[in-house]
Amino acid sequence: MKRGQRFKIYMVILLIIIPVFLSGCWDSKELNKLSIVSGLGWDIDPDTGEVTLTYQSIIPNEIKSSSSGSGGGEQKGGNPLRTIQLDQDTGSSSYDVLNRYTQHGSRIPFYQHTQVYVFGKDGVQRGIYPFLDTQARNPVARPNVLMVVSEKKASDILGIQDGMENIQAFGMASEIKLSATFTKYPAVTVLEFQKRLMSQTTAPIAPMVGIFEETGPEGKKTQKIRITGTAVFKGDKMIGQLNERESSGLLWGINKIKIGFVMLPEASLEIVTAKSKIVPELQGDQIKITIEIDEESNLIEYKGHQDMTSDILQELEKDQAKEIESQVMAAVEKSFSLDADVFGFGEAVHRKYKKEWQDLKPRWDEIYPDIEVVVKVKTHLNEIGDINKALIKD
Amino acid sequence: MFRLFSKNMHHWRTSSSKNQTKATQNRSPVYISKNLEGNLQILREALGQSSDVVIRDMKINSNSNVDAAVIYIDGLIDRDLLNRDILQPLMFNLQLIKDNVSQNHSSPIDFIKSSVLTVGQITETENIDGVISGVLSGSIAILAEGVTQALLIDAKGWEARSIAEPTNEVSIRGPKDSFTETLRTNTALLRRKIRDPRLTFQSLQIGERSKTDISVAYIKGVTPDNLIAEINQRLKRIDTDAILDVGYIEQFIEDSPVSLFPTVGTSERPDVVAAKILEGRAAIFVDGSPMALTMPFLFIEGFQNPEDYYARPFFASFIRWVRLVGFVLSIYLPGIFVSLKAFHPELFPTQLLVSVAAGREGLPFPVVLEALLMLVLFEVLREAGLRMPRSLGQAVSIVGALVIGQSAVSAGLVGAPMVIVIAATAIASFLVVPYADVGALLRLIMTVVAGFLGLFGMVVVQLEILSYMASLRSLGVPYLSPVAPLNIRGLLDTFMRAPLWAMDSRPAFLESPDMKRQSPGQMPHAPRNKLNKRESQ
Repeated sequence: MKRGQRFKIYMVILLIIIPVFLSGCWDSKELNKLSIVSGLGWDIDPDTGEVTLTYQSIIPNEIKSSSSGSGGGEQKGGNPLRTIQLDQDTGSSSYDVLNRYTQHGSRIPFYQHTQVYVFGKDGVQRGIYPFLDTQARNPVARPNVLMVVSEKKASDILGIQDGMENIQAFGMASEIKLSATFTKYPAVTVLEFQKRLMSQTTAPIAPMVGIFEETGPEGKKTQKIRITGTAVFKGDKMIGQLNERESSGLLWGINKIKIGFVMLPEASLEIVTAKSKIVPELQGDQIKITIEIDEESNLIEYKGHQDMTSDILQELEKDQAKEIESQVMAAVEKSFSLDADVFGFGEAVHRKYKKEWQDLKPRWDEIYPDIEVVVKVKTHLNEIGDINKALIKD
Repeated sequence: MFRLFSKNMHHWRTSSSKNQTKATQNRSPVYISKNLEGNLQILREALGQSSDVVIRDMKINSNSNVDAAVIYIDGLIDRDLLNRDILQPLMFNLQLIKDNVSQNHSSPIDFIKSSVLTVGQITETENIDGVISGVLSGSIAILAEGVTQALLIDAKGWEARSIAEPTNEVSIRGPKDSFTETLRTNTALLRRKIRDPRLTFQSLQIGERSKTDISVAYIKGVTPDNLIAEINQRLKRIDTDAILDVGYIEQFIEDSPVSLFPTVGTSERPDVVAAKILEGRAAIFVDGSPMALTMPFLFIEGFQNPEDYYARPFFASFIRWVRLVGFVLSIYLPGIFVSLKAFHPELFPTQLLVSVAAGREGLPFPVVLEALLMLVLFEVLREAGLRMPRSLGQAVSIVGALVIGQSAVSAGLVGAPMVIVIAATAIASFLVVPYADVGALLRLIMTVVAGFLGLFGMVVVQLEILSYMASLRSLGVPYLSPVAPLNIRGLLDTFMRAPLWAMDSRPAFLESPDMKRQSPGQMPHAPRNKLNKRESQ
């Protein structure tokens, strides 16, 4: 073989081997050396700023035995299945905490499948900057984790075993997503939170959960988790919260309506499709925002003992529009009183009036409560169900 | 290493060809003399004292009884034919015929040939070597006192397996015959499918000792001439002592002898071989082998099944996709599973991760070892099941199923998800039979790579394999045709199977001189009018 050919073969072998080592970091991690963190609780001491992390990790062995066992949700002693384990550490920063974790943990925490970050309310009022920084800085952090503010300490919430899921954090995540699907409370991921934070005028939001006690049929008291409202942030600090009605109105305003119900005094309606749009208008120094909502619904419940006529249908449509408008306006009023732009009006103005925005942006907090907001709702009733005559007439 | 290897190979090639020339020079042809006893003596020496060689002395019943001898090999010839059509006319009827036939023949041999022997194929030879090779290939030789020629009567009549259903390439629709070990039967099977006078069987003998008949089949004007020339050249280069199966030929003439991928196709079905010849390929038959080789062989041919063409196109296309996906899965599934488990657990859907992690608890080995263990175990079982005497096969499969399926999991050696993955892989690997062996090797490579480098490594290795495949050629045709280089019309029979009336021309990448397969526009359609209405008019 000639020298040139030999060189060629060496080159080919080199080309085969080099890319393997050029890849930067790689690391094998065996699954049974990882502790899969399902939920992470952040409690920040309001006075000292110390971070307390609560790790809710999955115990795979227990899940294995539960699936191969008798299939019941309870083990022999009547104790609920221990599928999760809680670990807690306190430190001056989040990585300080992580550092301490290795003192008692047997496995490396694995965050890529974490479903929720739970924040204690006290800490959130002080500010969650340590969290936001590590999230944005660390390439491993997943942006699609749900954020939840808890009324009590995060560590309390993560310890409660309830619902059908045998891993509590997964259950909580499903709970939040379900409420967002039914247009009750927003489901906010880290990414959405960061997006709102980046715009500098829009206020970040997150759903809130609380613990309530429920008395079971046998008089046994169990603790459950319930979504109670929407936390409103300014920067990294929580400054207030929206109640159920206002949360729903917020979702109508920011075009996050999927399915759900509109309750009227005389009827219940099921949302089929709904769209909303924020249209800003600049008149001199005065900003006028029009929220245009386009909604279609089906009638699913009617309390009046009357046959359906077009008059009644029109009435229903009108009432429905009024109800939606009042929900949205409630949210708007609350946001004015908090001076927090939860709807993203600022961004809407920014998109439409680029030049003027430079002038408006620094004063946005002052301008915001003076904005004129008009809600225009168009509703359409599609179907009235299988009957159009009342079953029992007046 | 490569250099050393090729140097040795070169040396070996030249030295063997030198030997060959020497051997042929030494042997000068021995002619048949007029002395019958002398000739028989030479033949006895040449054919040895073998008990299956029969030399029968007789007298040809002519005016004067002439000493003659019939030489044949017992078992190779048709005895009925010998007794009825050769011995009887020569010993009894010769005089009778001679009286009735009033023709003048230049020599008695000519007379016997043209008027006495009522058999089909008779040749004359003047040298002893011709007699020997004729006798060894199933002819009856007749030598007579005072004659310097011998008659070779083709009377092949050995016991042969009859035509049976194909065992490896099974199909539901379509013909159910397959090749046998007899070359002539095989060529006849093909001739029955293609009655074109231009279908040519080109014969040659290869094998210093086996003298195996080889037949190259092609259609003149459809198969490119340069292709035939190349095949002939490759066949003539072979100098070995025996060809026992087409596999011998395949390994001597393939384009890439050190490649994992086959560049010569094999088939046991006459319909498949006929279809390939009709596309512009050539086929090689070997006497004694129930398989035919087809060349050029492209990667996609492994995914084409005769059934595809007999069934209607929709399901055929779907099944072709199933095969493609199954082949890909059978190579990558264990690798993907290993790399997800060991490197990228974040890529699992969360719920799946939980159950996979649960299955992984308490297992002693790293996941790569687990996968390799199972893969090797599967290969062991497969091979054992294949080679076991049939009566033992059941025991093997029961033990295998129990050991692999259940005990390994319950003993905590292997995770249950791994068993599922290996089982799925094993079944998928038999979807594409021609590449089952390639797949097994690639699967092992991929699993090892996945264990060390994860998905990234798999991608790198895959790219290397793909570029290697793109560099392969089969008789000059790129191995990945018609995908790379792209040939749009060729794709009609690649990822889908277009309706027969849509495939008007032969595959362009085979460069057949006669591209037209059928006239275009033959898509059937219902008549415009109602049938009964038209009939009544």
